[in-house]
Amino acid sequence: MSKRMMLNRCLNAGLKTTTRLPQLSKLSLIRFYHPISTEYDNSEALLEPLEYKMDSVQSKILSHCIKEKVPHYGFTEKALVSSINDLGYDSTMLSIIGSPNSPSIFHSSPAVMELLKYNLVTKRYNLITAELREGLVNKQDIPSLETLLIQRLKMDKQLGPKALKSLMGQLSIPSQLLMEVALPELFRLSDDIIYFSKEKDHTDMAWYTKRLGLSLTYVTSKLFMTQDKSVDYEDTIEFAKWKLNKVMNLGDYYNNVEEYAWYTVMTSFNLIKSQISKY
Amino acid sequence: MLRPQLNNNVTRPVRCFSALAGLNASTKAATNSTTPKDKEQLEPLSPAQKAYLERAIRVDQAGELGADYIYRGQIFVLTRKYPHLRPILNHMWEQEVHHRATFNELQLKHRVRPSLITPLWKMGAIAMGAGTALISREAAMACTEAVETVIGGHYNEQLRVLNNQYEQKHAGGKGKATTPEEIKSLIATIKEFRDQELEHLDTAIQNNSRMAVPYMLITEGIKGVCKLAIWSAERI
Repeated sequence: MSKRMMLNRCLNAGLKTTTRLPQLSKLSLIRFYHPISTEYDNSEALLEPLEYKMDSVQSKILSHCIKEKVPHYGFTEKALVSSINDLGYDSTMLSIIGSPNSPSIFHSSPAVMELLKYNLVTKRYNLITAELREGLVNKQDIPSLETLLIQRLKMDKQLGPKALKSLMGQLSIPSQLLMEVALPELFRLSDDIIYFSKEKDHTDMAWYTKRLGLSLTYVTSKLFMTQDKSVDYEDTIEFAKWKLNKVMNLGDYYNNVEEYAWYTVMTSFNLIKSQISKY
Repeated sequence: MLRPQLNNNVTRPVRCFSALAGLNASTKAATNSTTPKDKEQLEPLSPAQKAYLERAIRVDQAGELGADYIYRGQIFVLTRKYPHLRPILNHMWEQEVHHRATFNELQLKHRVRPSLITPLWKMGAIAMGAGTALISREAAMACTEAVETVIGGHYNEQLRVLNNQYEQKHAGGKGKATTPEEIKSLIATIKEFRDQELEHLDTAIQNNSRMAVPYMLITEGIKGVCKLAIWSAERI
């Protein structure tokens, strides 16, 4: 039974009975209500969709690997093995790290898939500071969309050109990883950036188009970054600013056209009405 | 065109010439609710509880959007011919505008995605409002009656779930399970809105909705459409 079916079944059961809704985990593609109250105890919360805490062994190995080994070896099993050896763990850790993923013919090993996932998820969380997350920042200090986007791009500077290429290559292979990790993470990233920046959010179709536009900007800038040889990725940052500006202008074009069309409809309606009222 | 005049004695929403001027504004604060921290904290909501809230806010937002546009359509068609209906319709419409604004705010605050077929809801609602109003004023009232009946039932169902599925235990395991403040305020909002919707239902009946021809066809048809819309707005 798929996760979505399971959830639907629980929701329907919840409507009919008075039993408690059961705990469900691993609903990677389903979007949730975001509780903003401070009355909940979130000390046990995980960085969804990761299934272990930040002080666990898995997390220690993966973060060490991203910091020390990935720039040299890229996102490969070799980097992981080398990290495990350096930290003095047993090599069976490799299968523990890979356990949340099922094997895929498109990727070398489940552990590498977990490494890719860990890289995306932790960087997304680290982008938003704790003060910003809890809404403790002054109104004028809330960052703009552009600031957050560039900050996120800069976070990948440390990976180096080789690892960046292997990251983008592995994430864009049409596979289960793309559908269950790469695309949802991309969507969550643009959702986070819009929610926590001072950018206006929307209640209609613009909600979707703005996220889509931002995701496109991010992915194209990231692809640009893999080929970028300029000092400190200056060209990438310039490209991202230009691209974001262009995408946001598209929204303005649409709004202006709609406004003009509405104005035309109103004036022609009033014109007809005034002509009819003569008779 | 479809924007009827508001009475002067109510608080006017800010409305410029441009219907879209607001899109360029960029003021948004990531504000949080201010619950005192000294109280013992509750268990976090489970994924299923969060998923239900997500559905509920999306469907309510889409529903209030629909209601707003139904009244706009009715006012556009009816108030020219029957000026005495203007205050009644305007009163109901203003309440719907307030409901819609409230759920829009909840949707943004709780990061719920809006319904993907929002443009369809807008067009369908205007067509429903204007279409029934074109048949006759009684038909328009019958449409209101049908819509508000379904909405009242829908809100009641949500209240039942919110009241008996959201009693959270304390994190330490001590004390009686309580409903979080966040959920309590949502329950209060929905209760208030449900009462106002049912008030609209009474208004419609007082304005001869039962005399609409063909009454059964209009009310039952619209009830069916509303139920279908609720079902799909929860999911899509």
